[in-house]
Amino acid sequence: MTTQQTRSPVAGDGEQTAQLDAVIIQAHGLVKRYGRLTAVDGVSFAIRRGEIFGLLGPNGAGKSSTLDMLEGIRPADGGAIVIDGLDIRRNRRAIQSRIGVQLQATSLFEYLQVSETIALFGSFYPKAIAPETLLREVALEDKARAYPQDLSGGQRQRLALALALVNDPTLVFLDEPTSGLDPQSRHMVWEQVLRLRERGKTVVLTTHFMDEAQTLCDRIAIMDHGRVIAQDTPAALIATLGASAAIECALIAGSVEAPISVDDLSGLPGVSEARLRGDTALIYTDRLEATLVALLRLAGAHGAQVDHLQTHAPTLEDVFLKLTGRGLRD
Amino acid sequence: MKSFVAMLYAHLRMLMRNRILLVTSLGLALISIFVFGWLFGSGSGAQLRLGIVDHDASATSQQIAAQLGASDSLKVSRGSADEELAALRSGSRDAVIVIGAGFGADLSQGHATLQVYFDQSNPVTQASARMAVQSIVTGLNERASGRASPLALDEQAVSVHHLRQIDWLTPGMLGMLLMYANLSVGTALVAWRKQGVLRRIAATPLRQSALIGGQATARLLLSLAQCAVLIAVAILVFGVQIIGNWLALGLIVTLGALVMLSLGFVIGSFARNEEVAASLTFLISFPMMFLGGSYFPTENAPAFLAPIIRILPLSYLNDALRQIINNGADLAATQTDALALAAWMVVALLLSFRAFRWE
Repeated sequence: MTTQQTRSPVAGDGEQTAQLDAVIIQAHGLVKRYGRLTAVDGVSFAIRRGEIFGLLGPNGAGKSSTLDMLEGIRPADGGAIVIDGLDIRRNRRAIQSRIGVQLQATSLFEYLQVSETIALFGSFYPKAIAPETLLREVALEDKARAYPQDLSGGQRQRLALALALVNDPTLVFLDEPTSGLDPQSRHMVWEQVLRLRERGKTVVLTTHFMDEAQTLCDRIAIMDHGRVIAQDTPAALIATLGASAAIECALIAGSVEAPISVDDLSGLPGVSEARLRGDTALIYTDRLEATLVALLRLAGAHGAQVDHLQTHAPTLEDVFLKLTGRGLRD
Repeated sequence: MKSFVAMLYAHLRMLMRNRILLVTSLGLALISIFVFGWLFGSGSGAQLRLGIVDHDASATSQQIAAQLGASDSLKVSRGSADEELAALRSGSRDAVIVIGAGFGADLSQGHATLQVYFDQSNPVTQASARMAVQSIVTGLNERASGRASPLALDEQAVSVHHLRQIDWLTPGMLGMLLMYANLSVGTALVAWRKQGVLRRIAATPLRQSALIGGQATARLLLSLAQCAVLIAVAILVFGVQIIGNWLALGLIVTLGALVMLSLGFVIGSFARNEEVAASLTFLISFPMMFLGGSYFPTENAPAFLAPIIRILPLSYLNDALRQIINNGADLAATQTDALALAAWMVVALLLSFRAFRWE
């Protein structure tokens, strides 16, 4: 549980300047309530300039609500946000002219062509990039005169990305940028996100795909039930599992009198943690070979059959499972 | 300012591409003008057929009858009360005027009245016959009390008030056009809220109200342009006369557009989704198109409908437009209508400000 200790979010004296320069977003104790539901419950983090920061969590964890507050779409019910040295409560529009935002599944104006839409959004900002340049960047040059509703899901997502970049922002927010996309479009979006970092932009994205978080993000905050339950680099988060491999299998019991217990599995050599749900076992180990051999022997001794045996390198999914006892998409 | 101009331009573009909107507003009005103009004839030959029954047989009554007979827009026939009323019932008269005994004497006192029978079956000729006779009476009264004799019929007033179907229809079509072109702003608003466009705008430095302001301004401009097209067709193809002041007409058209926009905002504030908004718009506009007097006069509507008709904003808008276009009224004469429209606008705006939700 590494909820990072944050300083007072108010931009301050010279001593803090160096650190504040490196930090582009300082969020402290954010709270968002909808009626009786507390969607965001005391979220704090600091996002560094030039990094790709991911909010990872299942649907309903409070990721999008957190983004809404950072983007100035909704005011926070509690806590403070400082972006680029500006307090969002007093400088909302100044902040909004420096950030780019891609919302989850926005439909646009029905009767406005793609390039006209980009030009219109550009007019909202002090300076704007030409529609042609942006369309080339997101590979939509040939769709300049199409209407948004005639685009495919992936094309629409790229148009939303182009709109997020129209003011050449230093900070880009992407809410579930690849949800609902086919693998090819997903990879296209990933490449574009990585290119944004190359150009020195800071990217904050939400996702419920652990592979996406693992591939793209420099640092991750894992969210669940409106709270940040862990925050670090993907590698460091996975290292908390203390295992180099995970074994998954089904154990079909032979004898009812002596079923295999979790304790039996935990006691196998090299195992740091084991779970048993129904007859499905999940075992984390530092010594894959030794554990496997011992597991098969244990099954034999109990007259149980080992089915669907799989091993994989531990992922953020395993981290989430360890932290919450649930899968990301449960 | 820069973003407002860009926004206005984008909205105008979108509205011009919205074929359904153009067809239901200008298209519907133009089709009606052409259909009614051609079907019912727009030639100037259509005279008002007036029967005169003279029980007074004074010098004054003789003079009135003679002067009515001299009017180009009236086809006057004379006869006994039985003959003329039978002719009215059989459809060969549009109206019958009965000059009662003692009329000449009453007139010199300054309160003359004429008894008038109208053909109930044709509302348009009825309306124009009523107006024609009223103008005659008013003219007579003024002259008598002003002691301006000899008695002369105000020929100008009579021909002006002799309405053809197309003359009467044109203002009604303007009113209907303004209703359809602007009421649907509510559906657009709901669609933006529902589809997340308003949310997306909220993430930019632009105020969400600028989006709505741009849309309202664009619709207002488009309404003015559509009205200009409709009026041009009415004048050039059917020879409709705009008797009143153009400035007054422009002001009432603008007020009408604003009222309909405000009503659209109310729909947009209350409706939860686009289907509800579209149904509400239809439920409001379709009956209003008929009860508001765009196609038919509503003076003879059954008593239970009268209160409804009297509350409809389109009734006031159509009335003001007819006063200006057909009767040459100035702004002062349309004051009641303008006040009723303004009241509607204020109520509607208050309602929508209270109920409006960005999300």
